[in-house]
Amino acid sequence: AEEPPGVPGFRTWRGVYLFVFVFFVLSVLGLALFSRVFR
Amino acid sequence: MNLLDWLVLLGTILGIAAYGAWHTRGTRAIDTYFKGSSRNGWGTIGLSVMATQASAITFLSIPGQGYDSGVGFVQNYFGLPLALIIVCAVFLPIYRRLGVYTAYEFLGRRFDTKTRVLGAALFLLQRGLSSGVTIYAPAIILSTVLGWRLDLTIIFTGALVILYTVTGGSEAVSLTQKWQMAVIFGGMVTAFIVVLMRLPDGLGFTGAAHLAGAMGKLEAVDVSLNPNKRYTLWTGLLGGLFLSLSYFGTDQSQVQRYIGGASLREGRLGLVFNGLLKIPMQFFILLLGVLVFVFYQFDKPPVFFNQVDWTRHAVGTNAPIFRAIEERHAAAHERVRADIQTWLTVRDEDDAVEEATSRAAMVAAQKEVEALRAEAKSALLAADPRAKTKDSDYVFMTFILAQMPHGAIGLLIAVMIAAALSSMSSELSALATTSTIDLWRRLRPQAALNEGRNIRVAKWITLFWGLFAIAFALFASMAENLIEAINILGSIFYGVVLGIFLVAFFLKWIRGTAVFWGALTAQALVFILYSNLSIGYLWYNLIGCAASMLFSVVFQKFMGPAQPSLEEEPEV
Repeated sequence: AEEPPGVPGFRTWRGVYLFVFVFFVLSVLGLALFSRVFR
Repeated sequence: MNLLDWLVLLGTILGIAAYGAWHTRGTRAIDTYFKGSSRNGWGTIGLSVMATQASAITFLSIPGQGYDSGVGFVQNYFGLPLALIIVCAVFLPIYRRLGVYTAYEFLGRRFDTKTRVLGAALFLLQRGLSSGVTIYAPAIILSTVLGWRLDLTIIFTGALVILYTVTGGSEAVSLTQKWQMAVIFGGMVTAFIVVLMRLPDGLGFTGAAHLAGAMGKLEAVDVSLNPNKRYTLWTGLLGGLFLSLSYFGTDQSQVQRYIGGASLREGRLGLVFNGLLKIPMQFFILLLGVLVFVFYQFDKPPVFFNQVDWTRHAVGTNAPIFRAIEERHAAAHERVRADIQTWLTVRDEDDAVEEATSRAAMVAAQKEVEALRAEAKSALLAADPRAKTKDSDYVFMTFILAQMPHGAIGLLIAVMIAAALSSMSSELSALATTSTIDLWRRLRPQAALNEGRNIRVAKWITLFWGLFAIAFALFASMAENLIEAINILGSIFYGVVLGIFLVAFFLKWIRGTAVFWGALTAQALVFILYSNLSIGYLWYNLIGCAASMLFSVVFQKFMGPAQPSLEEEPEV
């Protein structure tokens, strides 16, 4: 059955997927920043 | 390796295998044998998915990749989180709703038997062959540097996997993978701490990162559109997305890890866990390789990291040539070390011009060392045209054996073997499930109702695939080019299979006959392109997938609206 994610702060699966996407974007930006700081 | 190392190595590897076999020896239910326990939560599923993907080569080669080329390889994984979102939202709910054991069983429900058998056959062909590579690749490296016999290393690892995978099926795989991942995480964190401790006093992580950055090893994101560059943001996003979607969505060795479990929610959260952790984890492993590179700027590295091969060829008329290269390499390394010390001193004095000058001198000296490493590889090739000149796979093992304390050496060797076992056990279990469900049951429909007989047959088939993998790995040691061929084979089939699944999910008006012939035509096109073009393997996933979908559409249009196939599940 389609059940809610049951993760604190997330009411829908769409919210979980959006979080994964935002985390991915932040990871890429974080890596780019890391490269820049230690250039 | 001393007694302590052997105790750690055998204690962890044999202990986990025995635990998995013992705990699952009573598995009688077909669902548990093929899908794992229905009580498995997201943590078990997430670790199982991660352990299946992380083979021994991940931990042997990727630090070497970081040493050689820096952290840019991390871009290869940029498509993975996006692919896992699609698998969570589209693939997994349908697999669970239909209660299928294999991804190809879904193709049978959606299309027809011939499409199901095509998907299963392509999987068995590529995964059956690559399971041999899964044990051969680490065995050749470990046997070379540790002086073990290659054939015994292959037979030992293969027999261990067969023992617990035959006994407990998918449940034994999930159970052992949890502990194998614990060994892997523990070992890699230990290695990271030891590398940091081995760096010169006062340098620390920040100093090491600044030095690696100055040497061009920390360029993690490359936004250039140059098609000749191997790893860029765009190849990672597009090529990586299609590769990950094929692997996680349609490869039974992964599908089997997440279609079991307590509920749809647990499966989804297990995949989300991987979507969040994979990029940071791969970056961590690459960064470990970069730190090993920094360590070897202060401690003289060998000119060629596969020292066994280098020493073996440094005889007779080659001896003076090899020795001359070693002496020039040692002198060049001394210059690099002196230039680094100058740069570190100048960097603290806040003089930008002086800093830029000393940095340029340091980078130039490092380029000289790299040129000498290239010269060493050429000399090796001149001495033996069949010699393997790729030594990056030996970088991390060289560091482990020379710099790690006893006990930690055993733990790191256990990491490599645990990673090989965890990947191979998933492959064997998936091969057996697909062979039993998609092929044997088609031939013996009456026997399909007998649960005990299904498990007995699956155990024999698991044993067959395990022995096949061992035999193939032993044979591969005599024909090295086979390994390269197997790796290419995977990327040539993956895209077309993904195309079949995407048609199944998104183009509901297309029927089995159109997609079957569309896929075969697309596969022929990919073979033709492969023979005539030299483009990166990642792109064949995209081309194969697009061609498979396009030909399916064209054939269905040409054939006109078709009747649903007899097997078709109306609700899909």
